[in-house]
Amino acid sequence: MLADAIAAERFRLLRDRSALFWGFCFAPLVGFLLSVAGDLFLRYVSKRPPPDITAGLIDQVIHVLQNGASTFGALFLMIGAAAVLASDYRWETWRLLTPRNTRQNLLLAKLIVVGEAVFWSLSLTALLSALAVLIGSVIDGRALTFSMFDRNLFDVVGVLAITWLEAMTLAALAACVGVLSRSTMGVVIACLGVRFIQTVLASSLRLMEQGQPSWKLLAIPVFDADLLRATLLDPGQLGAASGSAGVALAALVAWVAVLATGAVFLFRRQDLTKE
Amino acid sequence: MSIALEADRLTKTYGAVRALDDFSITIPAGGVFGVLGPNGAGKSTLFRIALGLVRPTSGSASLFGAPAGDIRALRKVGAMIETPRYPAYLTARDTLKMLALESGAKNADIDGWLERVGIAHAADRATSGFSVGMKQRLGLAAAFFTKPELVILDEPTSGMDPAGIQEIRALIVDLAQREGVTVILASHQLDEVKRVCDRVAILSKGKIAAEGAVNALTAGDVRLRITAASPIAQVLAVLGTKGVADGSDAVLADIRREETPALIRSLVEAGVEITEARWREADLEGVYLRTLENSQPPLEGAA
Repeated sequence: MLADAIAAERFRLLRDRSALFWGFCFAPLVGFLLSVAGDLFLRYVSKRPPPDITAGLIDQVIHVLQNGASTFGALFLMIGAAAVLASDYRWETWRLLTPRNTRQNLLLAKLIVVGEAVFWSLSLTALLSALAVLIGSVIDGRALTFSMFDRNLFDVVGVLAITWLEAMTLAALAACVGVLSRSTMGVVIACLGVRFIQTVLASSLRLMEQGQPSWKLLAIPVFDADLLRATLLDPGQLGAASGSAGVALAALVAWVAVLATGAVFLFRRQDLTKE
Repeated sequence: MSIALEADRLTKTYGAVRALDDFSITIPAGGVFGVLGPNGAGKSTLFRIALGLVRPTSGSASLFGAPAGDIRALRKVGAMIETPRYPAYLTARDTLKMLALESGAKNADIDGWLERVGIAHAADRATSGFSVGMKQRLGLAAAFFTKPELVILDEPTSGMDPAGIQEIRALIVDLAQREGVTVILASHQLDEVKRVCDRVAILSKGKIAAEGAVNALTAGDVRLRITAASPIAQVLAVLGTKGVADGSDAVLADIRREETPALIRSLVEAGVEITEARWREADLEGVYLRTLENSQPPLEGAA
């Protein structure tokens, strides 16, 4: 039953080219094009000599992935998530769907498909950033190495997984907001607002704290994701904070679980009088 | 006798509005059941509760004995509630494919049904460009294509041309008679209901105002139609509460056949110049309008 709902939702998203492009492909493509354009500009317009540094392929991919769920990245991911999670209110199509599967399955399927799409979007980001580094090194004539900091593909997978989990906290929030507001625009605005507030709060609290992060900081998904990435890539720099990585991971998973459960709870009780 | 849809003391309120008011009905499986009523009578609310789209304020509803909204029962049901809407980017074929996937109906005959409802030529067109009639046809295909045992249709022919209405009417009768599908049909087109339905319920203000077989309901609505050269008010004065203007130049008298000579005599004695008096055969429209009239509460201050 859940598998049926997932198959239907996946089929639908693959047909929704607008949501696919703007939500899940646009940001990686823009990042790629800007990177290549920047290299071309430096080489042919400003005609500066190429910087005498070696480009690290994996390092650049990790750097780009770390920002995959930044406010800019989140904007587009939330456009895609809103199209999946809240468009049945817009199209007034819940009345077609709810008699065919349980409400729980319908909403969970949407969230799972958003998760898949976010994963592919981040993978595309990684792939295109690697391609941009390769093209950039050809344009600039820079030396290219696999990694300058001894990083490997497992680090890429780890950062991708953490960024995916970070994005999923927003997607689960989008599910809640979608059900409550019945609006795609509401989803985008609310999630972006929450993402921005998280960034500001995490930075402010971090400035005020020393040593082990407090529970307040650990309750902020953006901080948790940053902490996990830092633990994975450079644990030496974290000091005492690296001991909170397990809590940070649990906090991220808990946020996704609580928000997803909340969305399902609300949706199951919701009257679909006029979607 | 198996029961397709049952409502037991169902009440649904939206703020101060009472859409269904202690409403009970039992619709047996088999045949075509018509649900009539003016806008706001509670038809769509009844259907939405049965399909689990909204929850009743009190009371209960069941489909094939399972509580309303139970997915096992809902998978035996096809429905088209109000004007169907679709994701604009999907074609007609993709819409049905998506719904088939959602229902787990992997062997649904999508192309066959697009053909049957007459939109096979537009199967690969986005539904955003569909006319209201085409959307209705796609909605009917969506209701029928998973081979349901019960189909709930809310205004299925609204927005269709006369030929389309006839076509869809024939399809509904065919499915009910040959394939044994139970159909519950809400419509404002009383002629359509009379032709298609075996039984009807007339809803007014969230309650059942009348219910029964179409023939039985209309049998009691035979009235004497009197046309006179005299003013209608003069005729109505003689008839008292038994007379009602029929909207044209005539008066309908609600009397028994054996009272006819006495009535005619009274009218003549009162100086009414009768030009015609004949018994009018009943129709569903008359029953419907009279039922609604009788179900209205008296105006405040009225005698």
